Amino acid sequence: MKQLLYIEMDNCIGCRSCLAACTQCGGHDERNRNYVYDVNPLVNRQTIPLMCLHCVNPACARSCPAQAIQVTEEGAVLSALVEKCIGCQNCTIACPYGIPKFDEEQNLMYKCDLCYDRTKEGIPPMCASVCPTNTLQWITEEEFAAKQEKHRLGKWMSSRLPENPLEGETHVKINLPGILQGTEKLF
Amino acid sequence: MPKDKFFKVIENKVHPGEKLVPTHCSYCGMQCGMNLRVDTSSNTIIGVEPRYDWPVTLGKMCPKGVTAYQQTNHPDRILKPLIRDNPALKGTKEGFREASWDEAYDLIARRFKELQAEYGKDSLSVFSGVSMTNEKCYLTGKFARVALQTRYIDYNGRFCMSSAAAGFLRTFGVDRGSTLPWTDLHETDCLFIAGSNTAECHPTSMFRVWEVQSRGGYLIVADPRETPLARRADVHLDLRPGTDLALANCMVNLLIQGGYADENFIREHTGGFEEMAEVVKEFTPEYTSEITGVAPEKLIRAAEIYGKAPEAVVMFARGIEQQHKGADNVSAYTNMPLVTGKIGRPKSGVATFTGQGNGQGGREHGQKSDLLPGYRKITNPKHVEEVCKVWGITPEEMPQPGVSAYEMFELMEQKTIRGLYLLCSNPAVSAPNLNYVRKVMKELDFMVCSDMYLSESAEFADVILPSVTWSEDEGTVTNLEGRIIKINKAQEPLGESKPDWQIAVELAERLGRGQYFSHLKTARDVADEFRLATKGGYADYYGATWDKIEKQDGVFWPCKNEKDPGTPHMFLDKKFYHPDGKAKLCALPYRPPAEEPDETYPLRLTTGRVVYHYLSGNQTRRIPFLMDMCPEPYVEVHPETAAKYDIEHEEKVRLRTRRGECIYKVKITEAIRKDTVFVPYHFGHEGSVNLLTIPALDPMSRMPEFKVCAAEIDKLGAERPDGQAGRAGSGKTEKEAVHQ
Repeated sequence: MKQLLYIEMDNCIGCRSCLAACTQCGGHDERNRNYVYDVNPLVNRQTIPLMCLHCVNPACARSCPAQAIQVTEEGAVLSALVEKCIGCQNCTIACPYGIPKFDEEQNLMYKCDLCYDRTKEGIPPMCASVCPTNTLQWITEEEFAAKQEKHRLGKWMSSRLPENPLEGETHVKINLPGILQGTEKLF
Repeated sequence: MPKDKFFKVIENKVHPGEKLVPTHCSYCGMQCGMNLRVDTSSNTIIGVEPRYDWPVTLGKMCPKGVTAYQQTNHPDRILKPLIRDNPALKGTKEGFREASWDEAYDLIARRFKELQAEYGKDSLSVFSGVSMTNEKCYLTGKFARVALQTRYIDYNGRFCMSSAAAGFLRTFGVDRGSTLPWTDLHETDCLFIAGSNTAECHPTSMFRVWEVQSRGGYLIVADPRETPLARRADVHLDLRPGTDLALANCMVNLLIQGGYADENFIREHTGGFEEMAEVVKEFTPEYTSEITGVAPEKLIRAAEIYGKAPEAVVMFARGIEQQHKGADNVSAYTNMPLVTGKIGRPKSGVATFTGQGNGQGGREHGQKSDLLPGYRKITNPKHVEEVCKVWGITPEEMPQPGVSAYEMFELMEQKTIRGLYLLCSNPAVSAPNLNYVRKVMKELDFMVCSDMYLSESAEFADVILPSVTWSEDEGTVTNLEGRIIKINKAQEPLGESKPDWQIAVELAERLGRGQYFSHLKTARDVADEFRLATKGGYADYYGATWDKIEKQDGVFWPCKNEKDPGTPHMFLDKKFYHPDGKAKLCALPYRPPAEEPDETYPLRLTTGRVVYHYLSGNQTRRIPFLMDMCPEPYVEVHPETAAKYDIEHEEKVRLRTRRGECIYKVKITEAIRKDTVFVPYHFGHEGSVNLLTIPALDPMSRMPEFKVCAAEIDKLGAERPDGQAGRAGSGKTEKEAVHQ
């Protein structure tokens, strides 16, 4: 059953559990590879998580002269391969979302790999597993279709179609802020 | 147990060479399910995996939960008993030397006996906490009364949960923090949440809260700050700190006026309606707005939403409870479901968020100065007799009721109390009016502290006993739903550390009271005696065996016998626990906070939590990830207020009250009221905001008023009116018009 990461921005409370969880993932050397930003910290407490969106045609991989960034058949865009990465940092510049980070000591790029060791076994990524607010969800395509229906596809989804600006189609889906999209109040 | 819509069957990731030990988080009352990753070759905890099968939280964890395992093998752990021979060094980290358990026990037994011989049995005191298992809580109560034979035992729940307890006892005749299981929450139509920064304090409730809204239900939040919860509320009642009682009375008034009262329910199942209605009549939206600062139309809208909701849950937390009228606030908000009949059925009711891991169980089993196991009263001869039978003492031997936590410090100052056995608590950070509390702790004749780290309170001790973390012991705790759950052991105690129950048993033996304790060889032995001691009490755990807890994913109390599956929903039969079977609608006249802003202290100071730290921070301030996220305390100030004081974001200022002063970095945010400032309380030493808080106690629950006192900000580096350093020299009339 194919599943995907879905981000419901509105739900984020800025607890950064996803960051803490990311440090717990195997091979991450206790460093997180995802980010949470304060939208307007002097005004309110709105925060947004920023994870790798695992582009279908990722700029990071396209820009890599050493082909160090692999894309799995499930669509996960992996961290740079140690033996191939030449430390040129093209990927960090190419990514429109600012996801790949560079480890100066190891001369190596590292980024979210969608917890590939877990997701290939049908286990949700650590960030989505622990997210206490359901901001990050690991959902089936059927569940995603239901959400699209509810949120009136085309009105609110950001990463939806190939003609999308930025990097086009992504495997991770985002729902832009907007409370109660398509939901009628009960009474 | 029923599974809810969020439940999915997910296999756990098991890494080679490891095993997973299912247990629960060491922190707040949510008690999120988690699996500890244990390296099988070294039997050491090395990480955490979500516990997807736990029905309450489904693997979800906050950043504290994810990193909780790092406590166990932390380099700061105390691994051997520590003794300090030079009392002049009390209040510092200095002067401790390692000792054997024998030496420590001998010293404690000798000093305790000396003090009691000279000043009487009641010269010793026990101050405990409720982040411990039920078994430890129970045994601590027994240890004080049977081994030390002192009346003076109380616990840090006085700083946390006692107002909820007192309010519920008065209203329902029983105190179970939630009348419904958490798996009901997302199915309700309206959540009315007062005084709870749920997103930061109980984050793993949030997926259920958001679900209410995404189903089309409503969220009403009463909070002085625009917390992440309030930010998305349908109605945010942004009241002045300390004015909840007026707001609750107004809600009840509007519910009655709006025709939302359930007259049948009121007649059949409650008492005191007329008197209560008379009191709340005064609280019109306009009058309430004057007191609370909340716009009348918001009050009207909130009452209308709650009134119309077919099912609704009223929830609250420390925001309304940590006031010198906390118990009244609890009863006043509880009037809402009682007046509308929205209680005693699934999806409707009232619930309080428990701050400490075992905030519910810990208050039921005899750590409180006036309580015995099973919520029995120490002043009730029948209750005393029941417990004496289990303990093997005579009712004459049972000590009298003592005093509450803060009042114990007052007795220490008066030298009525001369010795202290402190465990699982850090009052040198978490008590109000800390300058005073620290002074009296320093002057104690003899103090023993059981802790896993050298906490701020342990710095005042003569002897420190190394205790274990939650992952090195087993037992039960009761989460915020009233669900009894099992904590499992994942690793052997590090170094020479020992579980508190074992320390109590061994110490009792040294004190010559071994005959009452020596049969307790394992945590399970304590559990069996403990269940027996609660049998027939209000909080009856007798049927909650460890096997049943495992089989059922927890057991809700009361659970009276082997066949009883427990009680997830309270009052389904509409029977309350007062002798007439009715709940009491309480008539509660409004009282202002103990200290109102004035010319000298024109601001209101309120305190609370951040998501990265737990209570006094003794545990979480040692975890690198959490410290990276929130390394120091700060004071939240509204931009307009900051402009009046001529202070900027991240500038350091002096915050002052009648009790003391602290220096904090300013955090400017529109999420706070203009007349209020906020400081998180998780920090020790000079950063502790409790140096400033007021020890005004609730007459019923004896809870201090942490949530509001009058304060003033001084810009650093300028002259102060009293000639001392500090006052802003801008000559602005900053004191005027900071009130909203």
